[in-house]
Amino acid sequence: MAGLQLKGVAKRYGATTVIHHVDLDVKDGEFVVFVGPSGCGKSTLLRMIAGLESVSDGDILIDGMRVNDVSAAQRGLAMVFQSYALYPHMTVYQNLAFGLENLRTPRATIEAKVHEAAQMLRLDALLERRPTQLSGGQRQRVAIGRAIVRDPTIFLFDEPLSNLDAELRVQMRAEITALHARLGATMIYVTHDQVEAMTMADRIVVLRAGRVEQVGTPLELYNRPGNRFVAGFIGSPQMNFLSGRIAAVHETGAHIALDAAPNAASDAALPLRGSSVTAQQPIRLGIRPEHVTLGAATAGSLHLTATIDRIEQLGAASFLYCSLGSGERLTVHTAGQVEYARGNQVTVNLPITDTHLFDASDAEAALALR
Amino acid sequence: MASLTTVLTARRGRGRPDWTDWFSYGYLLLGLVLMFGPVLWLVLSSFKSAAALNEFPPQLLPYGQRSVAVAGQEKPLPLYRVTMPDGSTRELAEVRRIGIQATLVDPSAPDLEYKVNIRDRKPVREFRLATGNYTEIFREFSFGTYLWNSVFITVVATLITLLFNAMAAFALSKYRFGGRDAVFLLIISTLMIPPTIILVPNFLVVSQLGLLNSLWGVIWPAVATPTGVFLLRQYMLTIPDELIDAARMDHASEWRIFWRIVLPLSAPALAVLAIFSVMWRWNDFLWPLIVLSRTEKFTLQLALNAFQGELTTQWHYLLAMTVITLLPVTFVFAFLQKYITTGIASAGVK
Repeated sequence: MAGLQLKGVAKRYGATTVIHHVDLDVKDGEFVVFVGPSGCGKSTLLRMIAGLESVSDGDILIDGMRVNDVSAAQRGLAMVFQSYALYPHMTVYQNLAFGLENLRTPRATIEAKVHEAAQMLRLDALLERRPTQLSGGQRQRVAIGRAIVRDPTIFLFDEPLSNLDAELRVQMRAEITALHARLGATMIYVTHDQVEAMTMADRIVVLRAGRVEQVGTPLELYNRPGNRFVAGFIGSPQMNFLSGRIAAVHETGAHIALDAAPNAASDAALPLRGSSVTAQQPIRLGIRPEHVTLGAATAGSLHLTATIDRIEQLGAASFLYCSLGSGERLTVHTAGQVEYARGNQVTVNLPITDTHLFDASDAEAALALR
Repeated sequence: MASLTTVLTARRGRGRPDWTDWFSYGYLLLGLVLMFGPVLWLVLSSFKSAAALNEFPPQLLPYGQRSVAVAGQEKPLPLYRVTMPDGSTRELAEVRRIGIQATLVDPSAPDLEYKVNIRDRKPVREFRLATGNYTEIFREFSFGTYLWNSVFITVVATLITLLFNAMAAFALSKYRFGGRDAVFLLIISTLMIPPTIILVPNFLVVSQLGLLNSLWGVIWPAVATPTGVFLLRQYMLTIPDELIDAARMDHASEWRIFWRIVLPLSAPALAVLAIFSVMWRWNDFLWPLIVLSRTEKFTLQLALNAFQGELTTQWHYLLAMTVITLLPVTFVFAFLQKYITTGIASAGVK
């Protein structure tokens, strides 16, 4: 089995650097998801691992062996492409068998492996069809089957579900997760959809503009985002960000004054650990919509008055889109149904223990790590 | 068949034919006659005997004089319709003719001879195809050799053209390397050089390589065509790169990617190029004329040319050969024309 290591990997096209010094250690059997907005370099990084793009700097190691100069065909990885990339002139069987034929596998073995994979992916009845005669989900399964038949040590997925409709996407997500559990192979999965990342990954790598922003388990990223970008990217709807400043620093923590309520310095102190802040330092306070509570002021919270602009009632949950006195916007996610109407003024509570504090500078690193 | 009727009776409106309908059909008919008339005449004439070809005024259909076997005569005798002195007409067989006097007999009563002025007899003719034209050219001349030479050159040159041009197009469309565009432009720019200009240098090269009077001397200089490279490259650009990446992930060597993925997917463009190449090589005249000077190496086109003798031309054979020469290109064009349009369209617009 195989682990994968990236050591200072970089990619440049002429003067443009698209991947900056990426270090990553993927353990054997791990399901790692690369997530980030379009153009962040996640696909490029995956293609570099696959051997389809050259490496400008740094080393890629598979099982401790440096593979920078090993061709894609020789690396022994399998990849599932966004467009599926099925060979349109071959039947499903031929598509699945092509890789094995290239390895000069005996015909009987090819047949056995193709049928095994077809059975696993419920493609038995489709083996004689051409890709054009298949539905999106079936094509996707053929693409995965093509990867499976060669028993690769590492699977690479490049946004494999982005061409499917929502329902099929949920189904295929479960199938890929089940596949990972069954095969126990290392899988690297690229997506721009944070829900896919959260639901499938053992570990998530968040990328932005060719840099790794944070690596961690889904809940680590959710609970302790390392900077404002990660905080905003993980979680749906997006985390609310409110600007303010440090009102005072005490031994117990920092008191915060928000622009939305400048005179009401919070009575509760936000515990700070390991990072030093100074009074009057501008900060950004983040809070997830699901942590905001409505109604009477509670202790240990920041209280704000908000005007409801829009309400979405989903039955089991409600989303309130509010505006604050400072002109900032605040999204509230509350369980169950609410009685409010548009234009109502409500008191919102931001429990201080659920807030995230970020530096207001460009880097926007997290200040408070709870 | 029904669709053919629909096409042939298509009209502008639903009711009575408009004047534009008459005009359109008239125009199309004129075009048909202009384009097809000569071909039709050629085909019909190729079935005429040497005598029928020299007839004046010429007949459209091939006719031959009817002959009849007469008892007591070795050969069948030609039949004539004779106007007798009493004004009646009879069909008689001619035994011999001396000057303006012909001796004829009645085939049913061959003992009685009639002497008539040749102006009073007209040959009895019937529609008859002189298929001998076609069989005799194989027997009397080395037509089979010419045909084989032409077929060999056409088939081999087309296969090599397809392979070489496809390889060049694959590299130019799917690999990123320095100077790729320069190479492509260089290849395309050779289109601007008329072949006649490089005739002499080409001849010197072929001569130095000892390929004169060899069929390969006709094949090799023609296989690298800028048109073919351009056509195939434009088509291959439309093959998604992900397919090639997928094949690489599937352990395919570059040659296997080319052979198993790119070539099959380029089939429409390859078909177009194959059609073009067959037509070019088959109809090629100037270059074979220069390279091939020995009769046994002649292609059909050269043979046709050589057949026009200095003193006499055996038109009935020449016409038959011309028809045979036309056939392959006609078939290729008729059956593959839809590939030509789709192939060119898809290669032109991405």
